[in-house]
Amino acid sequence: MMMYIVFILSVVFVMGFVGFSSKPSPIYGGLVLIISGGVGCGIVLSFGGSFLGLMVFLIYLGGMLVVFGYTTAMATEQYPEVWVSNKAVLGAFIVGLLSELLIACYVLKDDEVEIVFKFNGMGDWVIYDTGDSGFFSEEAMGIAALYSYGTWLVIVTGWSLLIGVLVIMEVTRGN
Amino acid sequence: MKPPILIIVTSTIVLGTMIVLFSSHWLMIWIGFEMNMLAIIPILMKKFNPRAMEASTKYFLTQATASMLLMLGIIINLLYSGHWTISMIPNPVASTVITIALAMKLGLSPFHFWVPEVTQGVSLSSGMILLTWQKIAPLSVLYQISPSINPNLLVTMAATSVLVGGWGGLNQTQLRKILAYSSIAHMGWMAAIMVYNPTLMILNLAIYIMMTLGTFMLFMYNLSTTTLSLSHTWNKSPLIASLILALMLSLGGLPPLSGFIPKWMIIQELTKNDMIVMPTFMAITALLNLYFYMRLMYATALTMFPSANNMKMKWQFESTKKMILLPPLIVASTMLLPLTPMLSIMD
Repeated sequence: MMMYIVFILSVVFVMGFVGFSSKPSPIYGGLVLIISGGVGCGIVLSFGGSFLGLMVFLIYLGGMLVVFGYTTAMATEQYPEVWVSNKAVLGAFIVGLLSELLIACYVLKDDEVEIVFKFNGMGDWVIYDTGDSGFFSEEAMGIAALYSYGTWLVIVTGWSLLIGVLVIMEVTRGN
Repeated sequence: MKPPILIIVTSTIVLGTMIVLFSSHWLMIWIGFEMNMLAIIPILMKKFNPRAMEASTKYFLTQATASMLLMLGIIINLLYSGHWTISMIPNPVASTVITIALAMKLGLSPFHFWVPEVTQGVSLSSGMILLTWQKIAPLSVLYQISPSINPNLLVTMAATSVLVGGWGGLNQTQLRKILAYSSIAHMGWMAAIMVYNPTLMILNLAIYIMMTLGTFMLFMYNLSTTTLSLSHTWNKSPLIASLILALMLSLGGLPPLSGFIPKWMIIQELTKNDMIVMPTFMAITALLNLYFYMRLMYATALTMFPSANNMKMKWQFESTKKMILLPPLIVASTMLLPLTPMLSIMD
């Protein structure tokens, strides 16, 4: 079972995404996002990226999602829409779950699935070894590379985040 | 908008397009598109009326969908080729998805539905940026992947675009919608030649940008957004009326004005590649475009529409609008035809 842990976690991940993309109220979307974030952290951890997985919990769930939760709590309505309250949401949720389970069963049975491109069965999800370059883990090398080779990327993404905040402030100004 | 915010937002729009133009990594190109899209939203929403907010929302939704499709195409390309550099895209699925995403960003048919509605809902200066600067980034990416684009897809989109651009603009009196349909038609001409000679696409883009900038500035001089208010220009500023005449004829692609250069070169290049039906069809549908340009020009410079008597006193007031670089734009949009043999330096 431990060999297929990534496969199981990714199925749970997609089911979580189906949960919030069937458009219940944002509060429930945030709830499902917590679960998906935790499972996503598990996937990253399974590939040996311990630092990045904990970053998901700290920054994503503990920073961004908390702020999101507070803002939706301020803007929520009296009877927020839950999955069972609206036939459209329930229908989308069930369709998404069924298609995901169908694809998962295909992968387990045939060992390969081709929709647009081939998933080589379990080969892409089974972990045989974690990558490492020399003495350091691959993931730590990647993070170090972000701050050495990827300086331009950090500048551009930092500027984009600043612009995101400024644009939202400007758009919601209203006068 | 406060000046510091306006400066930051405008510089981000420029920076976003520059990042798309100068990057060789697909992720940076995608980041450039996203930065561009985010930063232009406050420019579109300069006036806080519901019309502008609806137009900005429509723009945001279509461009975000196009960015998502672009990312999908990039990932499929990564899966099959294993690298992130922008170059030929060997896989046909990835190439088709990326082409469709960029066509959505440009407003090529059948993804053209947002262009008239967004252009109409925003102010004239925002519409000017929307129809000129925002076309540069997607066309540069299409230029770089042009050897691997499926020609059938692109030529179909081009043919339907010139048709939609011509027919859609026929029933319009609002100037911003007319310019939006004109943009769709010009994008169609650019897409048609992209597979055969991408250099001519850049030529068409350059001349189209100059003409559209000039047209928008002439409209902004009188703050006119309808044909009716344009028909009062003879009273306010007769020089502007005659310049509108020259520019409309150039937009329609009539020789001896510079609007004819791209059409001539494109038809020549298409016939060199053994396509006869396509350039004939495009030249005939360009007549539809010419019809509504001529209607504008007729109303402005060739006839004096009946108007109330107080409309005939507007010459007493001076306009305070500063038109940046308008004279060079007018000259460049009308008098460049004799320089066409200089294109031979590009061979």
